Amino acid sequence: MTTAGVWHPVALSASIEPGSSAGTHIDGKEFVVWRDNSGAPHMWEDRCPHRGMKLSFGFVRGDHIACLYHGWQYDTAGQCRYIPAHPELDVPGSIRVPVFQTVEVAGMIWVATEPTESAPPAPQETGETVSVRSVFFGAAIDAVLAAIETTPPRPFSGEAAASVLRQIDGRLYALTVGSDTLLLGLHSLSGERTALHVVIAGPAARYSGKGQAHFLAWTAELRHRIETQPAAAVAA
Amino acid sequence: MKAVSTETARLSFIGRLVPPSFAEFCDRRAEKLDLKMAIRSVATDRFTVEVSGQPDLVDAFEMACSLGPLDCLVLDYERTRIHSIANGE
Repeated sequence: MTTAGVWHPVALSASIEPGSSAGTHIDGKEFVVWRDNSGAPHMWEDRCPHRGMKLSFGFVRGDHIACLYHGWQYDTAGQCRYIPAHPELDVPGSIRVPVFQTVEVAGMIWVATEPTESAPPAPQETGETVSVRSVFFGAAIDAVLAAIETTPPRPFSGEAAASVLRQIDGRLYALTVGSDTLLLGLHSLSGERTALHVVIAGPAARYSGKGQAHFLAWTAELRHRIETQPAAAVAA
Repeated sequence: MKAVSTETARLSFIGRLVPPSFAEFCDRRAEKLDLKMAIRSVATDRFTVEVSGQPDLVDAFEMACSLGPLDCLVLDYERTRIHSIANGE
């Protein structure tokens, strides 16, 4: 069963440090991805129920995120727990932010945009990974996939050989070159913008530093190719 | 469990109102603020509701509805306390 359209990669795990938050989009909708101080990731609608301020501008305090505007604090279930202007108030359960199921797989944070009970299992991929980067393109997912196939990286280790791009599940792909494998998370920001989250499948002892720099340079080449050539030429 | 104060208040909003629009606006705010609400009278120049719940949330309801939806103009409002219970006593 494919999870395309349900599970979306939204960030590299390494990009969202404990106690931090960031805004992102999926298919044009706004979300906040944040990590509490115990390290658990969360992804919510990026809108405070009070005045609509983006929660991604807020502050993480322990296992709560606080809105920048009036300091309303929400627990990890999205329930408002504290309103600074009314410290004695027993905050009603109706003041709640829509939250989405979030997991970490393949060195990336994934979110299900359907309710938990109807979402299929998240993509499965185990093993050590080394983060490379998230790279953003002014192009749709299909154009990015086509460019990856026509502009593969050179191997960091092993003999040069034809690259193989394989869909693991939904938006998770494996790109093998030589004896290296990259895991690629394709993230549709909107119909015309895509983020590509790139990690190396392998041990840090082998890929940290030079290996990361090697594939980082490839992502820059890829972006240059996509953004300087017409879509038809990239797909050709 | 924390003891909670409650208040029941009658609120009349006076101005140039579109009743269906204003009623929907009040309904949504009451739901969001966990208030019980009953509409008491409806006219294009005056809309009266009774709400009950925590006093701070009744205050929030009053503030929100004194602004009202985009197609209504609230010029004035009146608030009458019907009864209140302090700290659940």
